[in-house]
Amino acid sequence: MSSAAWICLVLPLASALAITLAGTRISRRTAGYISTVTTMGSFAAAAVAFFEMAGRSGGSRVSVTTSWTWLQAGPYHFGLSLLVDQLSVLMMLIVAGVGGLIIAYSVGYMDGEDEERRYFAYMSLFVFSMLLLVQGGNLLLLLAGWGMVGLSSYLLIGFHQDRPVAIAAAKKAFIMNAFGDATMVLALFLLVQKTGGLDYASVFAAAPHGGAAANLIALGLLGGAVAKSAQIPLHTWLPDAMEGPTPVSALIHAATMVTAGVYLIVRCHPLFENAYAVQDLAAGLGAATIVMAGLIALVQTDIKRVIAYSTMSQIGYMFVGAGLGAYPNAMFHLMTHAFFKALLFMAAGLVIHAVAHEQDIRKLRGVGKLMPQTRIVFLVGSLALVGIPPFAGFFSKDSILSAALDHGTYGYVLFAAGQLGALLTGLYTFRLFFIVFTGEPSAFAREHFHAHHGSEGPLSMRWTVGVLGLLSAIGGFLQFATVWHPLTDWLEPVARPIVDATAGQETVGSILAVGLGLLGIGVAWAIYAAGKAKAPRALPLFEKKFYWDELYNAVWYRSGDLLARGLDALVERPLILGSLSAVTGGAGLGGRGLGRVQNGLVRSYVLALAAGLAVLAVVFLSAR
Amino acid sequence: MHGPDIQWYVVLSGLLFATGALGVMIRRSPLIILLSIEIMLNAANLLLIAFSRLHGHEDGQVFAISVMAVAASEVVVGLGMIVAMGRRNVDLDVDKLRTLRG
Repeated sequence: MSSAAWICLVLPLASALAITLAGTRISRRTAGYISTVTTMGSFAAAAVAFFEMAGRSGGSRVSVTTSWTWLQAGPYHFGLSLLVDQLSVLMMLIVAGVGGLIIAYSVGYMDGEDEERRYFAYMSLFVFSMLLLVQGGNLLLLLAGWGMVGLSSYLLIGFHQDRPVAIAAAKKAFIMNAFGDATMVLALFLLVQKTGGLDYASVFAAAPHGGAAANLIALGLLGGAVAKSAQIPLHTWLPDAMEGPTPVSALIHAATMVTAGVYLIVRCHPLFENAYAVQDLAAGLGAATIVMAGLIALVQTDIKRVIAYSTMSQIGYMFVGAGLGAYPNAMFHLMTHAFFKALLFMAAGLVIHAVAHEQDIRKLRGVGKLMPQTRIVFLVGSLALVGIPPFAGFFSKDSILSAALDHGTYGYVLFAAGQLGALLTGLYTFRLFFIVFTGEPSAFAREHFHAHHGSEGPLSMRWTVGVLGLLSAIGGFLQFATVWHPLTDWLEPVARPIVDATAGQETVGSILAVGLGLLGIGVAWAIYAAGKAKAPRALPLFEKKFYWDELYNAVWYRSGDLLARGLDALVERPLILGSLSAVTGGAGLGGRGLGRVQNGLVRSYVLALAAGLAVLAVVFLSAR
Repeated sequence: MHGPDIQWYVVLSGLLFATGALGVMIRRSPLIILLSIEIMLNAANLLLIAFSRLHGHEDGQVFAISVMAVAASEVVVGLGMIVAMGRRNVDLDVDKLRTLRG
């Protein structure tokens, strides 16, 4: 079991190294195949680990293997150890599985792109980083994976190095994530101080209950999670990250990056349960993000940005679930979301690939008529996203909403936000669908659409999208709350839920969510497909994304700028420059004065010598 | 011990030295200045030898000989420069050689 886990972890790293070292000795296509095969192999190893684990009885399913002690500082030991348990094996399957499909898809999507090899090396590195994050046996390794995920995302978002926008987006993502990393590191310092180590088991056993320390630890971890998962208030990097190639967006959103925050909360749930206020805060931030991202998505005109905001919104649901203590529900939604979000991005990628890399939905209007297969898979993904039965989102999202009903008054607030989010999801998802995939193709779409050898895309892009379409359609049947729940049972030893919705609550939550989702779809249909109502004017508040960028600009950039200017005017110029010019001016003045002594007359020199001699003689004689 | 007392030697040496120094200070011809320097050096020599004789040590005489050697080399360099100046029609006047003025 543990050897399979090691293979699973090391394969993508080996691939990244191999592609980098091989350089131009291998063809660009070969680099893609190396990356694909290793990631698929990684998935196979994860599957082996899963089946080995499933074959064991409950108690012996968890295994921690330490290959060597990595860091030794006084009484502290940090080993390079892998933790393979029910939770990490689930994450391994999702990361390697969906990641493998996305990388396979990239072979077709990135064909002909410059520097394909660099792209595939980064992709492998990204998958490796995420696997390290989920398999790390202590919080230090998790942090290492955490940082490497940030690095890989930086490299991939800025993949198009010649585009300043992409570079700016990459920097923004990196800085936002670094902020989260910093709060996480502070939390880990506190943990080391309080518990004397960072191994999960010992940390959870010795972590402080309640009080300032417990709250600060949970808050620091939450800061990291919020930054990585693009929740309020550290979310502004995610839409800008759409500057990366489309499969990168799929990878960031579905498999490797934004889910890390949810994983962190679920993995460290004992620490969050010790600080229930912070846990409630996590749920609240998630709920706020659901609504805000939904509202912003209503007015976006870039096909990828609409999907990006939907990701923020869906991760919000997972945060609500994790914050409520409904950990299996959050993980279940993480899994189904990985399927349908990867599907949506990759289907959008098919469109973008076929229509001259155009992403503006006003120009792409009606392109679905030219791409009927893509239309079907996009419809499946959209239905799964909105949560219409029997598609995957229905099973996972509704169970989170129902769990909110089991959490008192605060739960009702979260429930209301989630239901509002369901309505918005239906509206913005099908606004996108109806605009892009129904109706007559626009002149732009007709002109620029070019079929790929008579089909809608290269084979590698079509089969991967097909697999994900299938998973999005049937993946939800893994668990149907209160009727059968293998996932909850599987995760119970690692993450036992602290809320449990009754069948009645499940029914109410589901019916309401599906109803609101259908209402959203209906309104979108009336406005954008049937033309029965005029599209309302876009509120500037939504178009400006609730002014978060402007706020950060004002708070951080402007204040820093002002401070720098003030220091320049008050300290730099008068004090530092002033003192320097005083020193040089003084030296110049002294030089000019002394230079006058040097008059070139030998006699005066001799006189000075004689005078000096006389003075010395007098001094010595009188001192005797 | 024969000859005058040591005081006479010291006074004579002082007079010679003052003569030389005065010459360096008030004359403008480099030739005369060189000459005056020689006088000062020899004043010092005189003193060295006088004290050497007084104490019965040879150290002072050794110093005197080395001072003569230095003086001889100095005259060689100085006279060489003066001859070169004369050949180039430079005025033999130290007050006009003020290129090194600060």
